[in-house]
Amino acid sequence: MKTIRHAILASFSILCLVGCSKPDSTGNAPNGARKITVGVAFETLQTEYWVAGFEAIKTELSKLDIAMVEAVADSDASRQLQQVKGFITRGVDGIILVPKDAKTCIPMIRAANEAQIPIVLFNRPADKTDAISTAIVADNAKLTQETVAYMVDQARKIGSKHKAVVVLGDLGDINAIGRRDGFEAAIKGNENIIEVVSRVPSEWNQEKAQAGVANALQANPDIDFIFTSSDFLFPSITSALKAVGRYKKIGEKGHVILGGFDGDATAYQMLVDGYLDATGVQDVYFEAKSAVQALIDMREGKKLPQLIIDPGFVIHQGNLKESSPRMWGANIKKKG
Amino acid sequence: MTIRKPVAAQRARPFTQWLVGLISSEYLVFGLTLLLVALLAPFTPGLVSIANLLNIAGYLLPLFIVAIGVTLVMITGGIDLSVTSVIALTSVVGAKLISADGSATPTVVGLVAMLALGAGLGAVNGGIITCLRLPAFIVTLASMMFLSGFAVWITQSKNIYNLPASFLALGKQLSIALGLTITLALCVQVVLQRTVYGRWLYAVGQNPTAAYISGVPVRAVTFAAYVVSGFCAALASVMLSARLETGSPVLGREILLDIIGATVVGGTSLFGGKGKIAWTFFGVLFLTVLDNALNLLNLSQFAITIAKGTVILLAAVLDATRHRLGRQNA
Repeated sequence: MKTIRHAILASFSILCLVGCSKPDSTGNAPNGARKITVGVAFETLQTEYWVAGFEAIKTELSKLDIAMVEAVADSDASRQLQQVKGFITRGVDGIILVPKDAKTCIPMIRAANEAQIPIVLFNRPADKTDAISTAIVADNAKLTQETVAYMVDQARKIGSKHKAVVVLGDLGDINAIGRRDGFEAAIKGNENIIEVVSRVPSEWNQEKAQAGVANALQANPDIDFIFTSSDFLFPSITSALKAVGRYKKIGEKGHVILGGFDGDATAYQMLVDGYLDATGVQDVYFEAKSAVQALIDMREGKKLPQLIIDPGFVIHQGNLKESSPRMWGANIKKKG
Repeated sequence: MTIRKPVAAQRARPFTQWLVGLISSEYLVFGLTLLLVALLAPFTPGLVSIANLLNIAGYLLPLFIVAIGVTLVMITGGIDLSVTSVIALTSVVGAKLISADGSATPTVVGLVAMLALGAGLGAVNGGIITCLRLPAFIVTLASMMFLSGFAVWITQSKNIYNLPASFLALGKQLSIALGLTITLALCVQVVLQRTVYGRWLYAVGQNPTAAYISGVPVRAVTFAAYVVSGFCAALASVMLSARLETGSPVLGREILLDIIGATVVGGTSLFGGKGKIAWTFFGVLFLTVLDNALNLLNLSQFAITIAKGTVILLAAVLDATRHRLGRQNA
């Protein structure tokens, strides 16, 4: 016991010593000038899109010789608040945040505002608040509406009435709500062509998506139109389709018109292989560049709009060749 | 050569004794926390700054409160996996009651409702476990799924905002959270150390059959532990909801590993019959400081998760070793 007590006392002593000498919180440029540091806090890195966004931000910051500190909250809003406060403690010059949702990020924005540190939200905006931030977001509803409109056109060309399934995301996520609304808006007025027979709540969970689509196919074996709110759910959907022998290429008998959102590597491969009709691509490079630029502008005191919209684009069989260089999933796939 | 052997053996014995003493020490985890801070502070910007320590405290207190309840359950040899769902459900029910967008009932009423609901859910868990004699793991796993789904259903996945300032103060003023946590921790520790119920709790965890034969009301003791666990989860929910200014149906969904892990890291035995509130505090402190320091070191989340997983695994191995040593010494 004596030894342990001594060890604890020794640790305390070291702690006191190091506590007195507070190290520099940011990096320094080689010429001695203080290098700008940006804290990048992501809610999760569990899907390709977030990893691509993270890498794109990293690249943009490094182009401008800005140092980056990172944190990932593992989908825990309380942990993310701690991480953002940690950035503030370190004295970062700006924060780029991917929040868990539109509401729990408000205390984080407030904390940054109080510390007079500019904060930019990447891909997910905050709800209405007096706290000041700028968000770079895709127009989820509009881009989904355009994607689904393309799918409806394909259905119209085939001629018969199609039975549709929409795989919804986590409806606590404002992006998922936008995509649902975009889908419904595209279907409205086209009920003579499309009958929605199932709305599958995936909660951004692949197992739930797989089970939901499989159940829908069981109840309606003639389903021939599926839209997923995110491309990362395609493996679950194709698995359910393969199980009933319905995973067919465009033009083959029994093909299910497929559409998605995000523009990931799986979707790109499915487009190339001729299984996927269309997907709405979030322009991750535009979003990363805009996020970094917004931080710089905010530091310079410029007033920015609350939302900077990423227009995105729809990629389909007709424009695959010319649009794929802008598709982040295509670039990931090509890099291997 | 023949002379050296016993000398080596003699030297080895104090080392073995020291090692056993170290493993058995209740301050091991606290010592490791201090060592961790001492080792990392020179390389970790702002780790020991006041602002960061306050930041750690803000995150640590709700975790510690839930872990207090889980400690009681684990002392009985059980486990409560439903605490995170209790946090989510009480968060949305409380927020619905007090939000300006909801029924705008007084904050005190909302708070009482949250705590009562938490305790009630704990009572349901405890009741099923003791009356139907079902494994705690299955019962609390099922209630975790049920309550989580129910929280999402009643809110339709929507977070609840516009909570009154009197409620938000509980999350903003660290002194209130600190006062509540210390009071709760001291009360539970006194119950464990100084009351008959405390002794019964350990007796049930060590050997429920022997405890029953000795006249301990095993069912009632176990039932009460789950009630306290539900109550603690609800109290943590109050703090988390106030801190995030939101009633959320997914609040706390990802912290189960931290709660159970911290309790085990602190030294509360997975086999029951052993545990102290101070140990749980050391466990929560260790995991929180580890997470915070590795974050400040700018390590990736993958590395942090691997490090935490390794620490929890080592703690479980340590627990098993202590258990074995305890048996050998008995």
